[in-house]
Amino acid sequence: MRLSKLSILILLAAGAAAWAAGSREKLWSLKPVVRPEIPSAFSNEKNPIDAFVRKRQQEKGLKSVGPAEKATLLRRLYLDLTGLPPSVPEAKAFLQDNSPDAYEKVVDRLLASEQHGVRYARHWLDVLRYADVDGGMPSDVGLYHWRDWMISALNRDLPYDRFVRAQIAGDVSGEADEIFATGFLARGAQSMEDKEQDLAFNAVETVSLAFAGMTVGCARCHDHMFDPISQRDFYSMKALFDPLVLDKKTLATAGQIFAYARAKDQYEKQKAILEAPLNELTAPYKKRLLEERITMLPPDVQAIIRKTEKERSPEERKIADDYAPVLRIDTKKILEVLSPEERARHAELLKTVQALKEPPELPVFWAVREDSKKIEAKNHILLVGDPEKPGAEVTPGFPFSPAKVDFGAGRRQTFVNWLTDPENPLFARVAVNRLWQWHFGEGLVATANDFGYVGDKPSNPELLDWLASEFIARKYSMKEMHRLIVTSEAYKTASIGPADLMESNSKIDPRNLYLTRFHLERLEAEVIHDLIYSVSGELDPTVGGMSFRDGPEQKWTGGDKVIGDYDTRTNRRGIYMGRGYHGDADLLPAFLQTFDAEDGRRTCPRRNQTVTAPQALALMNSPMVVEHANQFAARLRKQSAGNLAGAVELGYLTALSRPPSPKERDAALSYIRQDPKRLDGFAWMLLNLDEFVYQQ
Amino acid sequence: MNNPFPCGRIARRKFLFEAGLGFFGTAMGYLWSQEREGVRLPGNAPAKTVIFLFMCGGVSHIDTFDPKDNKLAGKMIEAVGFGDNMAKMVRPVIPCQRKFTPYGKSGIPVSDWFPHVGSVIDNIAVVRSMFCHETAHSPAVIEMATGHRDRFADHPTLGAWVSYALGTANQNLPTFVHMGRPSSTTQLNGGYLGATYSATPFRAGDTPIDNLVPPKGVSRAERDEQMKTLMELNREFRQRYTIDSEVSARLKSYQLAARMQMEAPGVVDLSGEPKHVLDLYGIGQGETDAFGRQLLLARRLTEKGVRFIQVCHAGGGNGAWDAHSDMASHEPLCRQVDKPIAGLISDLKQRGMLDNTLVVFASEFGRTPWSQNTKGRDHNPRGFTSWLAGGGVKPGIVHGATDDVGYHAVEKRQYISDLQATILHQMGIDHTKMTFAVNKRPIKLVEEGFGPIKEILI
Repeated sequence: MRLSKLSILILLAAGAAAWAAGSREKLWSLKPVVRPEIPSAFSNEKNPIDAFVRKRQQEKGLKSVGPAEKATLLRRLYLDLTGLPPSVPEAKAFLQDNSPDAYEKVVDRLLASEQHGVRYARHWLDVLRYADVDGGMPSDVGLYHWRDWMISALNRDLPYDRFVRAQIAGDVSGEADEIFATGFLARGAQSMEDKEQDLAFNAVETVSLAFAGMTVGCARCHDHMFDPISQRDFYSMKALFDPLVLDKKTLATAGQIFAYARAKDQYEKQKAILEAPLNELTAPYKKRLLEERITMLPPDVQAIIRKTEKERSPEERKIADDYAPVLRIDTKKILEVLSPEERARHAELLKTVQALKEPPELPVFWAVREDSKKIEAKNHILLVGDPEKPGAEVTPGFPFSPAKVDFGAGRRQTFVNWLTDPENPLFARVAVNRLWQWHFGEGLVATANDFGYVGDKPSNPELLDWLASEFIARKYSMKEMHRLIVTSEAYKTASIGPADLMESNSKIDPRNLYLTRFHLERLEAEVIHDLIYSVSGELDPTVGGMSFRDGPEQKWTGGDKVIGDYDTRTNRRGIYMGRGYHGDADLLPAFLQTFDAEDGRRTCPRRNQTVTAPQALALMNSPMVVEHANQFAARLRKQSAGNLAGAVELGYLTALSRPPSPKERDAALSYIRQDPKRLDGFAWMLLNLDEFVYQQ
Repeated sequence: MNNPFPCGRIARRKFLFEAGLGFFGTAMGYLWSQEREGVRLPGNAPAKTVIFLFMCGGVSHIDTFDPKDNKLAGKMIEAVGFGDNMAKMVRPVIPCQRKFTPYGKSGIPVSDWFPHVGSVIDNIAVVRSMFCHETAHSPAVIEMATGHRDRFADHPTLGAWVSYALGTANQNLPTFVHMGRPSSTTQLNGGYLGATYSATPFRAGDTPIDNLVPPKGVSRAERDEQMKTLMELNREFRQRYTIDSEVSARLKSYQLAARMQMEAPGVVDLSGEPKHVLDLYGIGQGETDAFGRQLLLARRLTEKGVRFIQVCHAGGGNGAWDAHSDMASHEPLCRQVDKPIAGLISDLKQRGMLDNTLVVFASEFGRTPWSQNTKGRDHNPRGFTSWLAGGGVKPGIVHGATDDVGYHAVEKRQYISDLQATILHQMGIDHTKMTFAVNKRPIKLVEEGFGPIKEILI
């Protein structure tokens, strides 16, 4: 059952009232989105965004620095919408196209490009904490299908409400592809049994941060200190996800599955034959060691262990389970007590067993499903988040919900209906703010994951609300919002202007909240990576599939063991560079780490932009950069056919999407000294330029 | 495992320039700006540098620095465990095969596995009453490194906190250096403080730091010329963006990288060290060579003003010190570290550096008095030994004690955070006031325990 709008309004009002008690003021982000009028004084602006921006600027006594140059704008747009630079012919064509809709044509083409989904999926994967490996996360095998799903969903402009719905309840949506969206939930479990209930905990925390801009994690242990989220709210919401368990999906045709079953059966039978003499050899020792172990235990425990399973009471069964690991006799222990001759024979027998090849496993994907027993089970507050310390009972619910919600449509479905409802003031606001941030470098609310009391207030609340209402009016089409935003004059503003204007603006607005200029942004690690591979001509832009390993940087122990299958093509886009966390292995590639990418353990609403000496060293000296600089130079040599001035021109157009200034051309040519070999050094310089790693 | 601080990250992007750009750390640490709030302890800090020696896997205190009477061998005691399993059982105490000798004026007994450390024991304060909570390697290493038990919260490691608090004393070298293979990447991690405070891994070799030198085929002169032209080509952009501090920071980062290229190779070049010094560390003497080189490099980095030098021994997997099946596996490990450690302490002392260099010897836990039906010992978080030398620590004393068999710390119990609090204290930091706000909630390195171990401080 879908909640009625009225009931949503009531519950929001009730929720807001409840929080207001004891809070300093009513939280802005919970007030309904009311579509603001477009400021009439600025109604001649073609794009309503500009009317709101100009109004703010005028109120503050600020003045825009004016539009960016064409070449700058083109590079900005390409890096923003696809994460790749324009090719030289594309750049030239745009610079020569004087038609009034020249820019809009490029916008449409880029939004239609499949690389757009790759670029924006990377943003979302940061927020939704994608990692190829995370300690013992069982869903790591095949998790990349979630990434593939996301890219495909963004490319076909799946409406945002459905994008969210699929990731929260794709297993029950009835859409075949959406099972892959539930990788988002499956990723939360840290072990197959999920005893710690990480799946549900992670779901509550990430869903709240990502789609509602609410930090609820504090309420895991106590009522939120700042925001109106109680511990009861937290565990009610957790009850929505408590019934979920991991669900293994085999990705194969029926024929492949039958063939596998046959091969596996043959293998098992063969193996049993080969293992028989091995077991015969070890059985007496195993028995002896087990007996020794049992005698170590306290007498009452011994008595329990010596009973058969049937003879044990339920309490005794639990005790027996507790001691099972203690009583496990592994082969290593048995080998210690064998005689040298027996050990040799053991090794020989083992060799024949190991020589038998197990049929390769069929590809799998870990989704989630609701476990019928768990649906029946009661849900509890867990003291300090410990599954072994259940407190008061809770019923399914969510923060700000009325006392009784009809969960007849299913727990998560009912929740998603509420979450994605246009009347929910957080849902659209949080989303458009993210989109804005990804275009401008900073959101209208700078704390994209936190719309609570601790978070920042919007710099332009009317604009935020107009965008939110527009998003709803446009049926949550993300591509339409992208188009709307990047075609605004605000987006097309230069990142620099006359010194006196810049100075007077920055006195009033030092953080450039009101966008009198475009933020200068250090590019993200993956974009820098892709730029380097693009200019050298080495990038494989294929979309989809497994991650690749970034060479020997992923080192220390167990690399292969913990990483599993990896793509052997290492020249793919940065989004496919494997990453993650493991206690025993360094799994975040050095390049990503150096340029502030995260390992995917936690949601990252916004990347850091540090400037460090290791970054300088990486661009100066890493074998990857030097190799690609040389390939870039080889490309320039080939394409310019001995015309070195032409090579310099082409180098600038390729790397920076603009021709060199006369001074730059002269400096470069004087370095090259008529020697085509020295284009290697020139290409290296281009990759080390400030301008190369910044978006202006 | 519970997550006490899951409240999200702070907005720390662009943090570096706001804090005043430094090299791998900020030039002026947090303490300078926080002085008024009393984070910095009054007076001069005794320790300028910490050399933190971490033995991966768990050193048996019973076989090294905490002798027990073998008369109790065979006694049945209540035991908890086999590894991660917390079942209760009754186990016999196994005899210790080591011989202990009282050393020096202090007469502190040290086993025959550490004769060289024994010879410098008069410089050392042995804390025999350490305990922690975690019983498995990875969580215990994280607990030891961060003072917290949850990996999800991304808590920074001790060295990162020290860089954060104190900044660098040498603009050309990192503030926090790591050597050796760690047990966990957490031991290098700046966590929510930021990657700026993470450890820089150093190797004793030609390229101590990743990407320090250009690949083969680029000559020095050529690179110099390239850098000169690069400056010219950057000029227009930099003039245009004088208003953006990150652009000027980027220029500085290249200058710092260049200075680092000048200084770092000299630091790791041990060829100028006289033979008697190399001998002292066991360099060129087989199994002591590798660790000896790392510790000599640690001394050289100390001379250059590096704040925190962490050296991990036998890391990877559970760590080689994890002697479940046979205590004899400790023997070669002890030989690898004994002479170099004693060499380091003697060398620092001879140079007058020991007074302001704090050397710490630790592992994630100790080992049990009973075995798992083997000749080895299980993990023991309930009682173990760490020791400290120099940096204002009382020389030649023993602090605290375990029970008769070495299972539980019973006298003057010290939680692992007390070790961290002691280190901070000696570096002039008030552990109760050094905080970092994650979502406006202040988080500390030391949240639990009894504070600095005042009894072992001068």
